Amino acid sequence: MNNQLRNLFFIWSMILLSIILTVIPVPDLLDQYRLPWLKMTVIFFSIFNISLIGIISVWFSGLILDIMTGGLMGENALILAVLSYLSYRFRFQIRVYPMWQIMLIVLMLLSLGELISLWINGVSGTMSFNIYDWINVGIAVLVWPIFMRVLEKMQSLFLE
Amino acid sequence: MPLYPQQRINRFEKNFSAYRLIIVVIISCVLMYQDYQKNYLPALRVYLSASLYPVQYLINLPKNFIQKLNTNFSERKKILQENKVLKKDNFELRSQIQQVYKLESENKRLYDLLDSQPKKDNSYIFADIIAVSPIAEKHQIVINKGSRDNVVIGSAVADSNGILGHIIRDQIFGSEVLLISDREHAIPIEIVRTSLRSIAVGIGNYNELRINTLPTNTDVKTGDVLITSGLGGRYPEGFPVGTIKDVINNPGESFLEISVTPFGNLKTINEIWVIQPTEVN
Repeated sequence: MNNQLRNLFFIWSMILLSIILTVIPVPDLLDQYRLPWLKMTVIFFSIFNISLIGIISVWFSGLILDIMTGGLMGENALILAVLSYLSYRFRFQIRVYPMWQIMLIVLMLLSLGELISLWINGVSGTMSFNIYDWINVGIAVLVWPIFMRVLEKMQSLFLE
Repeated sequence: MPLYPQQRINRFEKNFSAYRLIIVVIISCVLMYQDYQKNYLPALRVYLSASLYPVQYLINLPKNFIQKLNTNFSERKKILQENKVLKKDNFELRSQIQQVYKLESENKRLYDLLDSQPKKDNSYIFADIIAVSPIAEKHQIVINKGSRDNVVIGSAVADSNGILGHIIRDQIFGSEVLLISDREHAIPIEIVRTSLRSIAVGIGNYNELRINTLPTNTDVKTGDVLITSGLGGRYPEGFPVGTIKDVINNPGESFLEISVTPFGNLKTINEIWVIQPTEVN
């Protein structure tokens, strides 16, 4: 029970941290380069530690992000649920890949997220292609190895 | 009881089952559709955002605090000078306002004579900005007055220079404002010099609005001042919006491409007014 509680606390603090990183005010220079932290966190845990999250909790975290950013309610929730499901389905293959292949998979997943977001924006009538979203996907893939190591380290520190 | 490999896999299968995904996707689609249509869900969204308001406030606290600190510690000399300018401004404005009282009463009397609808008076609520939308193409801000302070959805928001936007969502303790520079925003305007009415739309740039609906033979010049026309009922009549920066007449096009510089400081907003119409007899 104690262990479960600790897991719950750990995963939700990670999710909250990612949401805060996404919405925290930063200087104008950095404002364009906001990485999709929540998507990265969700992909990581759906591949490497599936005991911590499920589709429903991922969906709720997306809903929180939607409300905090003032976007269409359910947009990020839908994208995150799909990404999480896909990562979970292919987790056995991905886990044994070398790092550069994992990075490729992450690139594909994040691009898929951007495509779904474009599609939703198109349907709701505000289609706008923002080059920075794609640049950020690229940066996210480049920092993925560091991101992964940090999360692994945190896991080994806070979980049994 | 030992766990067989198959069982171990299936332990988490429930959390990630395809059924859950399908259900969640359907719920998301319904939510998005309802949020887009704005007919059933506003209340749900209001309560959700109100519950997240403290988080938002805390996240933006350091930035707002540093801003306040900066203004508090700005030099004494500067403040004295500012005070001087403000006193002068105040004196000028007060002497001008003396005539306004007379004009206002005269105007009201004439309206009464015409037996038209009662003129609408405006009430002003002072508010501070709390957060700016982190998404670059969404020009939205969050202010610290909501339905608890009688702010109504749809009210116009302005700073001392001109119109900034209007309130689109309520968060009980705060509210979300859509700026006039957002792509989804259009504001009915009137050119002061010619009383010509049109619509200025946002293009996702903080320093520019655009008018695309005036034919090429229209009388517009660079430097013309735009005010709100009051049509559509959302924005009160007669508030300054911006000046015309550029008039481009593309050969072969039947409409002018007019770019407008807004008066309000959309990028560096600090204190704002919420303008609300109140009926007077």
